[in-house]
Amino acid sequence: MKDRLAILTASGFGSFMAVQYFLTAPVANAAYRAILGWIQIVFAVALVAGVISVVRLHLKQLGRRRNQRVYSATLLGGAALMTILGFAGGVEQGSPFLWIFEHWQAPMQSTVFSLLAFYVASAAYRGFRARSAESAALVVAALIVLLGRVPIGEWLLPFLPSSADWILNVPALAAKRAVLIGIGLGMVATSLKVIAGIERSYLGGR
Amino acid sequence: MIRDGRRARQTARRYPMLSRLSASVIPVAVMAGCGLMPALAQSAESALAKETGWFQAARLPELLGIALSALAIWAAIRLDRRGRIPKLRSLPGLDAISDALGRATEQGAPVVYVTGWGGDMGRPTTMASMTILSDVARRAAEYNCRLLFPSHDPVVASVAQETVAQAAVAAGRPDWYRADDVTFVSQSQLGYAAAVDGLMVREHPGAVFLLGTFEGEALILAETAHQTGAVTIAGTDSTIQLSFFLVACDYTLIGEELFAASGMVSRDHTAIASVQAQDWLKYVVIVFLLVGAGLLATMHFDLSWWIAR
Amino acid sequence: MIKTRRWIFAAMALAVTTALVFRPGLPVSITPETRHVFGVIDSLAPGSVVMISFDHEASSLPEIGPLGSAIVEHCFRRGVDIVGLALFSEGTAAGYDLLSRRASVLGRVYGSDWIYLGFRPQYTAAILGMGESIAGVFSADYKGQPLGSTALGKRVRDYRDIALVVSLADGSMPTYWVEYAQARYHERIIAAVTAVMVTSYVPYIESRQLEGIVAGLKGAAEYEQLLGHPGAGMRGMDAQSAAHGLIAILIVAGNWQAWRLRRKRRTMEGASS
Repeated sequence: MKDRLAILTASGFGSFMAVQYFLTAPVANAAYRAILGWIQIVFAVALVAGVISVVRLHLKQLGRRRNQRVYSATLLGGAALMTILGFAGGVEQGSPFLWIFEHWQAPMQSTVFSLLAFYVASAAYRGFRARSAESAALVVAALIVLLGRVPIGEWLLPFLPSSADWILNVPALAAKRAVLIGIGLGMVATSLKVIAGIERSYLGGR
Repeated sequence: MIRDGRRARQTARRYPMLSRLSASVIPVAVMAGCGLMPALAQSAESALAKETGWFQAARLPELLGIALSALAIWAAIRLDRRGRIPKLRSLPGLDAISDALGRATEQGAPVVYVTGWGGDMGRPTTMASMTILSDVARRAAEYNCRLLFPSHDPVVASVAQETVAQAAVAAGRPDWYRADDVTFVSQSQLGYAAAVDGLMVREHPGAVFLLGTFEGEALILAETAHQTGAVTIAGTDSTIQLSFFLVACDYTLIGEELFAASGMVSRDHTAIASVQAQDWLKYVVIVFLLVGAGLLATMHFDLSWWIAR
Repeated sequence: MIKTRRWIFAAMALAVTTALVFRPGLPVSITPETRHVFGVIDSLAPGSVVMISFDHEASSLPEIGPLGSAIVEHCFRRGVDIVGLALFSEGTAAGYDLLSRRASVLGRVYGSDWIYLGFRPQYTAAILGMGESIAGVFSADYKGQPLGSTALGKRVRDYRDIALVVSLADGSMPTYWVEYAQARYHERIIAAVTAVMVTSYVPYIESRQLEGIVAGLKGAAEYEQLLGHPGAGMRGMDAQSAAHGLIAILIVAGNWQAWRLRRKRRTMEGASS
């Protein structure tokens, strides 16, 4: 019964959102706006539940797992500190909240992001191999695009930027479009299955 | 905030169904409805933008697209019931799941399952990934192999908890499920990547599944998984990250293969029939493309007016 | 492999650091895409309103920051007003910081020349909602003042009052702007994105659903040249050149090593048979 109600809700809301797209009636528009508001409320509630679950998990780990205590303490301390600073000191320029964001959080995140430079280099060395004629063509294309997108490529070989643009805008784009069309059709099919009550993975595997 | 949280928890306990509805069903339904729009609107916005009466005539192409898609899926399901849908070819990435789980079990190591930072529960790719998670969790429960699921989205985390718990029951081992192993981590992209990296470095998983919608964190996760010695099985609809996965992972499901894989592991005939319907729709798109390109090349007749104003 | 990886990491660090310290200053050519975006903003009448959405994480600030800074400077110099907002929580503080810094340098006033709406979760609902009513989604600005209390806040009711939306993004957010704001409300969208995302948006340019695209540090460097104001984008291009050059060398080296190993294996197999 519970599942049936859930499926009915999914079908009802899904059908309405699809149908109202084609309607001009003010009632449909008003209902649509109300639903958009509900989504934000639902998400905010889910976020509160998520934060509670994270806090509970790390409070548990503080008591139990010795080797992970330091991580849990850092997380809980950081979350508490930012919440207090945000509420007490505001988020204006010059506030402690914004100072920590700019001087701690942004650099720490940029550090993780910068790992990509190292990982791209190591993955390129390890995995980008010309094992067949097709993969050899890929390697050549990669070299042209890599060098053609930066000034050093143009400085070395002036025709590289235009070649790189051609690779990106013709063969690469054609392949990308084919993959996108396939994915788009998959999305349409899944959306229709949710509305028809066939797709139920959102119920947690029942 | 604490009071609100307590209230939310109490409501969730008192009204579990309401909690589930609010957690996943309504957003999924709304997104499914909205999902129809953009997928078709990407390719259809009429230049004849007239709004007549109650119906938006300008959106007729999208309506026709939805009708055609629905018809194709209905026909495929009908044919499947008569046993006339061909079998899907096997996917190496999917076949490798069993071996990867077996290897992790032999090593006494856990497996890590990640749905990526780019998708919420309304995204069809995440739904497909949840179906594969159900299969992986069932097998992991059978092998008594620990499964870790760090999530970037509280709604995805709650659906995954339910999925893994159900899979444990289906495997006949409800005690195997540990709620603390399926958890929300962070909404921040790189915060999430750092947390999953840390998890992999500490736990040394035997296998890592990266199935869903990924963005900039894709290569960071795939390379860390490789460094820890795990078997990596990836699949995504993010065309940019596909190239990283192809280079860095052991197996990769490309784009719509993820949807096909979800149909195959669920052994759900309607799911497999919808894969067939997608193939038919692809043929329709190919015909449109050929006709459009032919008209443009031979008669300079540009059909793209109905895509953009 | 672990040893090789360490050498690769060290070489990358050395290459980027050397380029940043010595700054060879290689010339950057301007692509038609960046020139087009510059032209679109340049053609806006003074007093028209551009909505800039900071749809990125703090992590991508080194790449997105110079791009955002150049576009904001261009708008302010042209007398175009800016409505800022963020659809990613981490873009919120970064966006406010960027706008307020550029505004104070160029003498633009909060409330009349620019406002900042702050962050709203659930980007789909937020983008769609603003098509109906901006005040319905953001009843107050980032500072907590009611939207109608500022001169600019009063002027912008929905997308009809916004000449252009610029999505500064490190992910797929411009897709959502196209799918919801462009497809449904016919809003003009420009994507200012990280370099890795550029190919994702080219199909939208060709279908004319996206007005223009400017990407990565290179886009920032090109934009800075068009503004006649070299900045962080130009400086970053040297480091990017060094990193790309090293990766190209590594691809060649990896293939050469694999070819050597294959040949050695074949020779050994030939000897044993």
